[in-house]
Amino acid sequence: MRPFEFVAPETAEKAVAILAENSPNAKPLAGGTDMVVDLKHTNAVPKVVVDLNKIEEFRGIEMTDRGLRIGSLVTHTEIMEHPLVAEHAPAMIDAARTIGAVQTRNLGTLGGNLVTCVPSLDSGPVLVALDAEVTVVGNDGRRQMPLTEFFVGPRKTALNPDELLADIIVPTAMLGRATHFLKFGLRKGQALALVNGASSLRLDGGKVADARIALGAVAPVVIRAGKAEDLVNGTDADEAVLAEAGDLAAGECKPIDDFRASADYRRDLVRVLTKRTLETAYAIAKDKG
Amino acid sequence: MMIDVKMTVNGQERTASVAPETTLLTFLRDSLVLTGSKLGCDVGDCGACTVIVNGNAVNSCLMLAVQADGKDITTIEGLSDFEHLHPLQAVFEQMSSFQCGFCAPGMIISAKHLLDKNPHPSKGEVQEALSGNLCRCTGYTKIVDAILELTSEEASAA
Amino acid sequence: MSKKAKSATKTETIDGLKTAAEGAQLPSVSRIEEHSLLPLTPDANKQTPAVGQRTTRYDARPHLTGQTMYIDDMTFPNMLHMKILRSQHAHAKILSIDVSEAEKMPGVVATLTGREIPVNSYGPSYQDQPVIADDRVRHHGDPVAAVAAETEQLAKDALEKIKVEYEPIPAVFDPLEAMEEGSPKLHGETNVYASKVIKKGDAEQAFKDADLVLEKRFSTQMVEHVPMEPHASIAMWEADGNLKVYSSLGRITLGRADMARTLNMPMSRIRIIATIVGGNFGGKNEITSEPILALLSRKAGRPVKGVYTREDEFMSSTTRHPFIMDYKTGVTKDGRILGRTVRIVCDGGAYCSWSETTLGKGAILSVGPYNIDNIHVEAHAVYTNKTMTGAMRGFGAPQVCFAYESHMDDIAHELGLDPLEFRMMNAFGEESPSPTGQVLESVVVRESLETASERFGWKEWQK
Ligand SMILES: Cc1cc2nc3c(=O)[nH]c(=O)nc-3n(C[C@H](O)[C@H](O)[C@H](O)COP(=O)(O)OP(=O)(O)OC[C@H]3O[C@@H](n4cnc5c(N)ncnc54)[C@H](O)[C@@H]3O)c2cc1C
Repeated sequence: MRPFEFVAPETAEKAVAILAENSPNAKPLAGGTDMVVDLKHTNAVPKVVVDLNKIEEFRGIEMTDRGLRIGSLVTHTEIMEHPLVAEHAPAMIDAARTIGAVQTRNLGTLGGNLVTCVPSLDSGPVLVALDAEVTVVGNDGRRQMPLTEFFVGPRKTALNPDELLADIIVPTAMLGRATHFLKFGLRKGQALALVNGASSLRLDGGKVADARIALGAVAPVVIRAGKAEDLVNGTDADEAVLAEAGDLAAGECKPIDDFRASADYRRDLVRVLTKRTLETAYAIAKDKG
Repeated sequence: MMIDVKMTVNGQERTASVAPETTLLTFLRDSLVLTGSKLGCDVGDCGACTVIVNGNAVNSCLMLAVQADGKDITTIEGLSDFEHLHPLQAVFEQMSSFQCGFCAPGMIISAKHLLDKNPHPSKGEVQEALSGNLCRCTGYTKIVDAILELTSEEASAA
Repeated sequence: MSKKAKSATKTETIDGLKTAAEGAQLPSVSRIEEHSLLPLTPDANKQTPAVGQRTTRYDARPHLTGQTMYIDDMTFPNMLHMKILRSQHAHAKILSIDVSEAEKMPGVVATLTGREIPVNSYGPSYQDQPVIADDRVRHHGDPVAAVAAETEQLAKDALEKIKVEYEPIPAVFDPLEAMEEGSPKLHGETNVYASKVIKKGDAEQAFKDADLVLEKRFSTQMVEHVPMEPHASIAMWEADGNLKVYSSLGRITLGRADMARTLNMPMSRIRIIATIVGGNFGGKNEITSEPILALLSRKAGRPVKGVYTREDEFMSSTTRHPFIMDYKTGVTKDGRILGRTVRIVCDGGAYCSWSETTLGKGAILSVGPYNIDNIHVEAHAVYTNKTMTGAMRGFGAPQVCFAYESHMDDIAHELGLDPLEFRMMNAFGEESPSPTGQVLESVVVRESLETASERFGWKEWQK
C-alpha cells in the first residue's frame, strides 16, 4: 500500500468536516474488507483515510418509532446474532450469512456493503424488498432517502464525497413481513452471487398483497421485478402463477455475460430464484396466519 | 506519517509506532516477528492470516495495524508453546490433519474461534466456520474430522 | 578423519564398505547392519504392516504451532525486496526498455533486464524460456524487468517508472489454430514442439470389423496449482564467492543446473537450500525468479528476497495443460473393444516447461487400462500465447482419464451394457501389455473396480 494519512474522528460531524476539507482526496474506512483490498491495488491512494470506527452513533441495532434502526458500522456477524433482527427481519440474517466467510463477516459492515454498491451486494435485495431507508450525514445536516434512490449505479451511490451513511431503517410497516432470500454462487462459501434475490409479501383475505421482488447481480443496481409483482398480487401463488412470475422477472432483468456466468444462465437463475423466494415467502405468510 | 499504537498481543502489551498503510498482518510478521500468521492471497480470500481481534476471527491482511490500537489480539503463537499444545493442536497432530502446513495457523485460529463461540458444533457448522480458510493439500476431511473428534471427546468426557 | 579411511570404489562390496566404515570410526555408520542398503520392496499384492496404521507426521508440531519457517518467514540483515514488471501484451516485440527513471528513485538499489542475464534461456526439456524476456514477450505476464528495493512497496512503485516500448504482433490463443500454417509463431517455424505417436496393430481395420464405432471430442481447461505459499526465494552471495539461495523449489538439483546455465557458473558454486514447501503440486518444479534474485543480489551486494504475489502466481507460474482429445473406438456388439485412435492436442502455452514429459505420459495412458490390440495415438504439444503449462499432479493422466472414462460410459450406453461390466470385460489383467508394450505386473484394475463398486453400492444404484 502507498502511504496515506490516517484519522479516526469520534463524531460524524468531525468526520464529514475532514472529508470536506480534503475533498476529493479523503475516503472513509469502515471494516476495510472492500477498501483495504482497493488500497492495495491502486496507485492513487487517497491523501487521508478517515476511519469511522470511533463514531459511536454509527453502531448498534435498536427499535425506534420509525422502525428497526441498524447503524452503518454494524457488522454482518452482529446482524446474524442480534435478537431484534431475528424477530423482525430474519431474512436479513439469511442474507448476512451468505456474505464471504466468518472473517469477512466479522470485519465487514452493512454500511460498507451498501456504499460499495456492487450489483451483487448480498445485503441489498432483502432491504429493497423491505423498503428500507437510509440516513445520510453531510456538512449541511442529515437527509433521509429510500435505499432504491441511494443505489445509483455499479459502485455508485447518492453519497457526495463529503457525506457518510449513518444508518439503515427498516420501516415499522415492514417489520415481521414474510420475506425470503436466496443467493446462487459458484460455491457454497466465499462466492459472489451470480444472482441473488428476495421476495416479501403479506396476505390480504388469504391472497398475496403488496408483493416486492428484489433481484441483485442482474442489472446495474438491485431492481424490483414490477411486472412479476403485479402478477402475483391477488393470487394464491399457485404453481402456474409462480412459474409465470419467474418468466416475467427473467424478462425484466438485464444480466451481463462475464467469466462467472452467461447472461442466459443468469436469466434462468432469476426464473428459479423468483419462483422459490415467492413460494417460501407465501408459505411463511400462511404459517403466520 | 507514524502513529503510536498500543495493543495486547498474546497476553503481552506491545507498543509501537506504525505507518497507517501497514496492515495488521505486516505489523505482526515484520515488527513483532510473529511469522506464524501467513500471507497467502493478500485479499481476504484464503484465511492464512486469520487472527483473533477482541474475540473475532478476522483477516489480518485486511485490517490496518492502526485500527488494532487498544485491542486484544491472539495469534497462533499465543495458543501454546512447543511442549504444551492447545487441545485443537493436539488433536490435529494426532490425526495428521495437515500436510504442507501453510494454512494450519489460520485454520487453527478459525477453529478456536468457532469453539470459543460454539463448543459443540455440528459437521455443517465446522465446515461453515472454516469456509474462509483454504487448504490445497488435504481436501479438508481430516481437518473437519479432527475438530469433531475433539468436540465429541469433550462431550463424552463431560 | 582417520588416515585408515579409504574411499569406496565401484567394485567394493557392502562388507568392504563396512570395514572402511569401521576404520573411519564414524558413529553414524556403526548402525549399518540395521539398515539394508538394498531398497525395501514389499511383495506385490502384500500390504506392508504400515498400511492402515495411523501415524503422526514428524513435521506436525512445528506446523501447528506456527514455528515452521517458510521462505517468507526468513529475513537477513540488509535484505532487499524484488518485484517483477510483467508484460501487458500477449505477443509483442520489445523495442526498448529504459530503467533509468526507476534507478533514480530513492530506495531502489538495483534493476535487471533480460540482456543482462548471462545465458537467458532455461527449461527442463527445451531451453526455450528466457529468465526475463529480452527481445519478445510471448504471453501476458512474461517478465520484462525486475527491481530490488528497500521495501516491497518501493520496488512495486519503481516498476511504474520503467519505460518499455512494445510493438504488438499477432497472437494465437487456440492450440488448433496455432497448428495451422498461417498462424503466428512463437518460437521458430512451427508451434508444434513435441509429438508422440504410439501404433499397435491396425486401428483402421479394427473400425471396419467393428459393429459400432463411436467418436467424440473431449477437452479440459487450464488449472493453476494455487499453492497456499506463493513461489518464494532469497538469494545472497557468500564470502567465498559462492551463491546461496533459499528456495521453495521442489527439485533443487534441477534448479541448480538451470541456475548454473543461466548464470554461466559451475553448479558446484551454487548452493540451494530447500525449505519446507507450502504446497507444490508440481508447480514448484523449476526455477522462476531465482537467477533474477542472484543477479540483483550481486549488483546490490545484499541479500534479495522475492515472493510472488497471487497475481504473479496466476499469470506467470506453470499451470495444468488444457487438452483437446479426439477419441474414436470400435467395439463388437457384445462389448469387446477392437480398436481405438486418440488424437491429443496439448496446449502448452508460451514455453515448453514440462510439456514434453506430460505429453508422453498422457499419450501412453490415453488408451486407458484396457486391452486393445489395435491402437493409434497421436499427440502434439503446441505453443500458444498464454501462461505456460507444466507439471501438475498426474502429468497428463487426469486429462486423458476424464476423456477415456467418459468415452467408456458413452460406449456402454450405446451398446446397452452396464458400464461396470463393460469395463471389467476389457480391463487390464496380470501381464497385460501396455500400449507401448510394457508387460504389466501386479495389475489390480478389476479387483479395485469390484471393491469400489461394492463400497459405493453400484448394483443397488443401477436399479
Ligand atoms: C473475501 C471476501 C469475500 C466477500 N464476499 C462478499 C459476499 O459474498 N457478498 C457481498 O456482498 N460482499 C462480499 N465482500 C465484500 C465486502 O466484504 C462487503 O461489501 C462488506 O460489507 C464491506 O464492508 P466494510 O465495512 O468492510 O467496508 P469498507 O471496505 O470499509 O468500505 C467499503 C466502501 O464503503 C465506504 N464506506 C464504508 N462505510 C461507509 C459509511 N458509513 N459512509 C460512507 N461510506 C462508507 C468506503 O469508503 C469504501 O468505499 C467480500 C469481501 C471479501 C474480502
